[in-house]
Amino acid sequence: MIDFAITRRGVVLGLAAASTLPRVALGQGTPRRGGTLKISHTTRIATLNVLQLSGPAEYPAVDMIYSGLTRMGADLRPMPDLAESWEGANEARSFTFRLRPGVTFHDGAPCEAEDVVATFKGILDPATASPARSVLSMIADVVAVDPLTVRFDLNISYADFPTSVGHANARIVPRAAWTRPIEELNTQPNGTGPFRVETYDSARLLRLVRNENYFIAGQPYLDAVEMYLFPDLAAEASNFLSGAVDVMLEVQQAEFARIAAAPGVSALRVPSGRFINVVMRQDQPPFDDVRVRKALAMAVDRQLLVDIVLEGLGRPAYDNPIAPEYRYQIETPEIPYDPAAARALLSEAGHPDGLKITLVASNRPAIRGQVAIAIKEMARAAGFEIEVESMPHDTYLSNVWMKGNFYMGYWGMQPTEDGAFTLLFTSDAAFQDTEWKNAEFDALVARGRSTLDEAERAQLYGQAQELILRDTPYLIPFFQDVLTAYREGVVGWGVHPLSRTFYVEQVWLDRA
Amino acid sequence: MRELLRHPPGIAGAVLLALVAVAVLLGPWLAPYDPQAFHPAARLQGPSAAYWLGTDQFGRDLFSRLMHGARATILFGLGATLIGVAAGALIGVTAGVTGGWVDSLIMRILDGLLAVPDLLFALLIVTVLGGGVQQAMLAVAVAFTPGMARIARAAVLSIRTREYVLAAIARGESAAWIIGREVLPNAVGPIIVEATIRVAFAIMIGATLGFLGLGAQPPSTEWGLMVAEARQFMFRNPFVVAVPGVAIAIAAMGFNLFGDALRDILDPRRRR
Repeated sequence: MIDFAITRRGVVLGLAAASTLPRVALGQGTPRRGGTLKISHTTRIATLNVLQLSGPAEYPAVDMIYSGLTRMGADLRPMPDLAESWEGANEARSFTFRLRPGVTFHDGAPCEAEDVVATFKGILDPATASPARSVLSMIADVVAVDPLTVRFDLNISYADFPTSVGHANARIVPRAAWTRPIEELNTQPNGTGPFRVETYDSARLLRLVRNENYFIAGQPYLDAVEMYLFPDLAAEASNFLSGAVDVMLEVQQAEFARIAAAPGVSALRVPSGRFINVVMRQDQPPFDDVRVRKALAMAVDRQLLVDIVLEGLGRPAYDNPIAPEYRYQIETPEIPYDPAAARALLSEAGHPDGLKITLVASNRPAIRGQVAIAIKEMARAAGFEIEVESMPHDTYLSNVWMKGNFYMGYWGMQPTEDGAFTLLFTSDAAFQDTEWKNAEFDALVARGRSTLDEAERAQLYGQAQELILRDTPYLIPFFQDVLTAYREGVVGWGVHPLSRTFYVEQVWLDRA
Repeated sequence: MRELLRHPPGIAGAVLLALVAVAVLLGPWLAPYDPQAFHPAARLQGPSAAYWLGTDQFGRDLFSRLMHGARATILFGLGATLIGVAAGALIGVTAGVTGGWVDSLIMRILDGLLAVPDLLFALLIVTVLGGGVQQAMLAVAVAFTPGMARIARAAVLSIRTREYVLAAIARGESAAWIIGREVLPNAVGPIIVEATIRVAFAIMIGATLGFLGLGAQPPSTEWGLMVAEARQFMFRNPFVVAVPGVAIAIAAMGFNLFGDALRDILDPRRRR
């Protein structure tokens, strides 16, 4: 891992050079211009509205079309994007961003401080329904100091603010967009990114062509990028293996070994902090008793889950949501699979004859159900008699999610510890679905977010994790790798653990 | 029965059905393993002495799952057909016996429903009712009803003008007596034949709904669901898809051949 301790503070409050290239080891040789990159994906690009979208294939699309103030680098640090540099002041309660000069939108309009102000004000308007709103709720005011300088004033001290403005949904749209119905952005995006839209058919294809006026001279290298929708996984794999597409955005675990073994193909495995979590609601029996939760935690063979559900493409986790990819992960003790001890603990908790309970899983993604079925089998030895109820994803979302007392959740990795904690764990978390509400934990998270000192933050976030490990609000059995694949001749393709930034402008084709 | 033995497709159908019947009646006792038990060391294996038909992605024994799943799969087909036939026969006989504008009204409605293919109809109903075994069974039954009603009505119409029915009418018997004693017993042959063939379709539609995630839910061992769950792994072990797939084919073919033979035998005009 990269040593963050030295550089972190510098990035938070100091300057970042505009020429810094985020990617490490971009590939071999001198980049060659030209060619069309064909990317396959299996979920629809239902909208190109950067302020609202949330689909796995929509993120790479808007990462090519738009730019943000900052952009998440491969090492989870904010990299310069539209902002050349930034600095914090007043105990991380005020941040000033200096914009690159001479940047234009795809329609030729200049991109200036007014556009940034309009974008963030729009995101903070509940009517826009942007997922970025909850992440940026600490903004009290945003002002254009001059055409190339924007200042944010915050309600609270927030050290990770440069990361927050790099949110995938917080990319800069032209100020003129707000004078028209915002739905126009769904199909007619207008950004400052390296590619602009030529053809958009949400049921089939998105074709992007090079933005000749992109603010990094010489980039992008590709003439065009085409994203093809394959609703059927088997058809996607066949087309990729036959060479009809160059890049498979996401590879299924079950297919990974077969695809990696194919000639002329490189399969890429990126460790990530995304996880499956078993939600155990704690305002009602039986999970209001921490011993029942701990018993279940001991009744799950995590390594075996990684082997049979993830095909080995992941790492066992021990109920700590903070993966090693985050900055302040503490040493997390392994929880061995011990059905006998689990049974004893369950008995101590008042269930000497075992516990009968229904675990709900949706059918998307498939591993939700697979993990549920595997847990059912593993936990049986410990006295848990689990009935697995599988249901269509829509039914699950409307009837069980955020309501049920025992079900399977699935979450992507967050850019910061604060993001992970305020997503699920704090009392006011956006998706608080366990009723594990702990004032001490809330206080630690609140202090961590406003602390600029590295060592102190590490300590605060460490204590917060200790509380999670003590109380086991969720059972988190593993971290799942992000998998992608590309064909010979594609140089520089990669995915980020967060799957939000893709740096396609740096990809080139090394073929005649 | 003797006639059946002289009918080669009928013999084939009977043999296949016997196999299926054994699985339905004795499946759980024939299965060497617990159908849900994992064998992590033996995942996605081909047939072997330990696992006769191989194992799936969790290392579950395919033969055991097949044996346990027979009941769910076949009973689904029989149940759906039974409900569909009962409802269809009731509607058809009513229409046929009553005649007049009631008949016309019922039949025009049924004609409209018949225009929608069975699977599409079933999908539509499941979408409204929600997924699950009972809902899927009901959906297939409802989808079958118009066709069955048509056949029942045709049978009734051909009998209604027979001399023995006219005689019963002349004797002044009640309508219920005529339907119960004279019409139904003579109309039931074609209905049974059609029902036997329909079971094959019911099994296939049930498997399709299971495959689409709208019928049985994991970890059920219903055969269509087995195919769906295993699809991702078919390149690594073709048996995970082939085993339940062939089982569905055997069951469907058995009912189909048997039904065909039954029709030939029960139809005097086709008798050799």
